[in-house]
Amino acid sequence: MTRDVSDKSTHWPAEDFTRVPYEVFQAQETQRTEQEKIFEGPVWNYLCLSVEIPNPGDFITSYVGRTQVIVNRADDGNIYAFVNTCAHRGAQLVRKLRGNAKSHVCAYHQWCFDHKGNLAGIPQIRGVKGKGGMPEDFDKASCGLKTLKVDEYRGLIFGTFSPLTEPLRDYLGDKMRVEIDRIFERKVKVLGYYRQRVPANWKLYVENVKDPYHAGLLHLFHVTFGIYRPTMSGRVFMELPRGHSVLRTADIDEKQDEVNKAYSGIDKYRKDYRLADPSMFHVEPDYDDKVTNMIMTIFPNVMLGQVANTFQTRHVRPKSIDGFELYWTYLAFEDDDDRALEGKLRQSNFVGPAGYISLEDGEAGRLVQSGVENRPRHASVVEMGGRGPIEDIDSLSTEVAVRGFWKRYAELMDEAVK
Amino acid sequence: MKLTGGSTITDPVRHSVVELLQRYVDSLDDDDLEAWPDLFLEDGQYRVLSRENLALGLPAPLMYYYSRGMMHDRVKALREALTYQPVYVRHILSTPRLTMSDSGEVHAQSSFSVYQTTEEGVTQLFTTGRYSDLVALTETGARFRSRTVTMDTFGVLNLLAVPL
Repeated sequence: MTRDVSDKSTHWPAEDFTRVPYEVFQAQETQRTEQEKIFEGPVWNYLCLSVEIPNPGDFITSYVGRTQVIVNRADDGNIYAFVNTCAHRGAQLVRKLRGNAKSHVCAYHQWCFDHKGNLAGIPQIRGVKGKGGMPEDFDKASCGLKTLKVDEYRGLIFGTFSPLTEPLRDYLGDKMRVEIDRIFERKVKVLGYYRQRVPANWKLYVENVKDPYHAGLLHLFHVTFGIYRPTMSGRVFMELPRGHSVLRTADIDEKQDEVNKAYSGIDKYRKDYRLADPSMFHVEPDYDDKVTNMIMTIFPNVMLGQVANTFQTRHVRPKSIDGFELYWTYLAFEDDDDRALEGKLRQSNFVGPAGYISLEDGEAGRLVQSGVENRPRHASVVEMGGRGPIEDIDSLSTEVAVRGFWKRYAELMDEAVK
Repeated sequence: MKLTGGSTITDPVRHSVVELLQRYVDSLDDDDLEAWPDLFLEDGQYRVLSRENLALGLPAPLMYYYSRGMMHDRVKALREALTYQPVYVRHILSTPRLTMSDSGEVHAQSSFSVYQTTEEGVTQLFTTGRYSDLVALTETGARFRSRTVTMDTFGVLNLLAVPL
């Protein structure tokens, strides 16, 4: 295929996505295309949790790509979302991150919008002292806020701009829903938020969480304390056409001689490494299925994660070509007793910006962003787990889910790739 | 001068507490991390909280160590296990406000900024924040019973490796 020099689309060197051109992490123009083709394309974007806005009037700020959106609950009990830009002159409409409001009034000219994004009122619409005012035929109905279609699954709220997006249930798919159900069939509550400003392109984090290969090599804590080892029972499975995936590790069927073999010559498994106070590991698990680590990525940019007995959503919010915010919502279950809650606070030491395991993923992002700088024509090698077909695998020694992400990404970014 | 609530902070007590606060900063700024846990009681508590969570009344901490052993574990992990960018650290500390608690220990409160400098000499503000401490006066000097760090810059610049 010959390429027109004016063609700004990315050239993918390998049809099976075993090569990822570095330009996708550093070309400024990809940001605008991603906003249009990915985030405003036929996808469901994670917005927030239903429990964060329990009452009519409650609102919370979120992002669709780089666009700020407000998610709120109306008096009818349903959830609505709109772009946080006044329909009049473009001012940011809602100025608080969270709160409760009967309606949303723009600070600039006091235009007032209801929970559904309809324009409800304009000051001086008929002018003052019989002069000025809006034209007689001004159509309020056409000056509502830019809204998103909203849907909910198990308390997870998603929004889409595209009329082409399939129903949320179908978008998530059977394989992902089983894993969502496992966690979210119990009522959750928020224990707190963590925010990290990672100096890397947002897609590097998506790659990171779809890559079980690194988890047993970068993260000594994972490995040494038995949260994650490639020798454990592990699976990578995908909702391939839609770009979702799950990495799941369970502490079963692991043989010590296999651990020793996998880590011979690698200093990340340290039999002699002891903690002075290991009590944060002595937390009774919420599930008896021996799953120690599970991370699901729902395309394009949200993760549902379990590390030991911690549960979180992680929302990857792009901020610039080389920076994103990683926004964690740290969860407990509504019916957790004091002991279980304390366990989750203790294990918060594993996750978040300071977490024994997750802090290293921020560093991995920084290292790659720094490494690919000024090398747009080069590409990374993604062959662990094999070339060719992108398929589920009962192994953690693989990068196949990374290829699954790029396949979906490329399809949306460039029709020609299909 | 009449001081309300509890007894007056005497000069020796003030000196002892200020010395502890300064030794704390020195241990981190001079990369003498091994000295850091020993500034706490054996069952001392160290927490880093996001100002956002605090404002929302949410309990999830960024760091939560409730024994000197856990603090030693953090130091060992920083030395031997964790992968993160090495930086120089500098704390700028405000004058602390000290008050005597009913239990005969000292409440100390101070504001701080932490700057980080890369190996190539580029400095940036990492966070501002506040220390809220309960300090025990032991025979071997003042020790933290608890130190709670409120992190203002809760949009953490990549990651938080070394304690604040």
